[in-house]
Amino acid sequence: MTDPAFLGIADAAEMIRGRRLSPVAFTEALLERIVRLNDRYHAFIRVTPDVALAAARQAESEVAAGGWRGPLHGIPFALKDVIDFAGMPTTAHSRVLIDNIAAADAAVTARLKAAGAIMLGKLATHEFAIGGPSFDLPWPPAVNPWGGANFPGGSSSGSAVALAVGMLPAALGTDTGGSVRNPASMCAITGMKPTYGLVSRRGVFPLAYSLDHVGPMTRSVRDNALLLQAIAGHDEEDPGSARLDIPDYSAALQARVGRLTIGLVRHFYAEDMQAHPEQAAAIEAAAGVLERLGARVKEIRLAPLAEYATCARIIIRCEAYAIHRRWMAERPGDYGAIARQRILDGAVMSAADYIDAQRLRARLTRRTLAVFAGIDAALTVSGMDPTCRLDDAEACARIYSRQARQPFNVTGQPAMALPAGFTRSGLPLSLQLIGNPFQEAVLYRIAHAYERATGWSEHRPPELARQDGQEGPGKTPVPGQTPGKAPTEASTQLRGTGSP
Amino acid sequence: VAEAAGLARLEDKHLAQLACSAETGRELSGALPKDLNWSEEMAPTFRLPPRAGR
Repeated sequence: MTDPAFLGIADAAEMIRGRRLSPVAFTEALLERIVRLNDRYHAFIRVTPDVALAAARQAESEVAAGGWRGPLHGIPFALKDVIDFAGMPTTAHSRVLIDNIAAADAAVTARLKAAGAIMLGKLATHEFAIGGPSFDLPWPPAVNPWGGANFPGGSSSGSAVALAVGMLPAALGTDTGGSVRNPASMCAITGMKPTYGLVSRRGVFPLAYSLDHVGPMTRSVRDNALLLQAIAGHDEEDPGSARLDIPDYSAALQARVGRLTIGLVRHFYAEDMQAHPEQAAAIEAAAGVLERLGARVKEIRLAPLAEYATCARIIIRCEAYAIHRRWMAERPGDYGAIARQRILDGAVMSAADYIDAQRLRARLTRRTLAVFAGIDAALTVSGMDPTCRLDDAEACARIYSRQARQPFNVTGQPAMALPAGFTRSGLPLSLQLIGNPFQEAVLYRIAHAYERATGWSEHRPPELARQDGQEGPGKTPVPGQTPGKAPTEASTQLRGTGSP
Repeated sequence: VAEAAGLARLEDKHLAQLACSAETGRELSGALPKDLNWSEEMAPTFRLPPRAGR
């Protein structure tokens, strides 16, 4: 069988359809890999082999009988542990919800099941998608395979790490202030925060209702388009859900970018904040690549980053506290220190502040969309910095806040992060593309052209190659990268001690 | 503040966190724009479904 570790959705789907890849063998191989690597990377907090193999056997028999359902049929995936899978715990990586069993599938879970996809398990997250990386929780934080023992970003950290180390081809994350795009950026994978309302949030534990999004995370743009196709669509039971026809995102990949106008938001990383020089250079280089592909790139100005950040931070504080205040009153000690701090932040905000933040949001959205009326998409940084050591709490907090992702949670526009190179020391760099509302297809079109022109998505963490020497088609980005530690002994025990 | 918020079970270390929250909350509140006009409504996150046709 083809090495399954870095087999993407599109390629695997073709092989499954042609009966050249067995969903059962594919699933078994990934389960074995998870068991072998999870003690080092902590991407999964729960693996569900029985559920996975039952679904894989069903997919295999359906395909054999001529009942191929589509590109997700027989494709393994996993869920950030804020997303419900009926009968399985949804813990939000927290002691607070350690015994919480989901009564029903989240809407996105139901859609993936209906598409024939195969659930492998639940993925690590920052506690309640807000507090991390933390070492005082029931499970340890996920570890970035790039550069030894680094911060993978968050809060959808397990989703990004699992993709980066070849444990699966598809994962879902959530994004309230950048939590799909941040780990995508740190782990050199691709993450899309769709337009607010495109993907249902029903059955997903909320962080902040009016800013929450569910998004697809994959290694390639093409796979991301396939995964979004499977989860997008109206849901009567999500009050924020939009009612619209879903386009064929994969068809958009074939179109050229030649006639598109792309706005470069340089002031985010050159004036409002000063990005790491290699990160800033990566965006300038990406602008050059897009120009060579025929796009027209012109500099644009949006509101200062600080205005979006003030707006987003107040809304997140207030909405999150409203969700948690009963538990915070009754059992504050069950939260990890970081989540407790961030949730308590909402206890001291006034109702007037919250309302003014929402009024500011309307103003920012109106002004931002006025600028976007003259362009097809925008290019800027995702974060200002490459990753840092996971055990350096101060550095993690600092780089988490030095970012340009929150503006598009405030405005609800689609925004995606994808690899844009590597630092001289071998750490991932990334870019962010932002579109007009419900124009995800335009972002995929640009991202796919850029990905094909640069090949950044094909690079794999060097320490993986050193660990088992048989990884797929990936390339090592630069020579001389700091080696990672050897993997610990394989184990099926996934619950950590919670200590560093 | 903790009592007013109904947070009677906070321990000393939690109260220190709350004090930190109050400080950053004041900073955030102070950073809100002062020129919001009364006519600028909050973002519409509440929508009524259209009436079903007969």
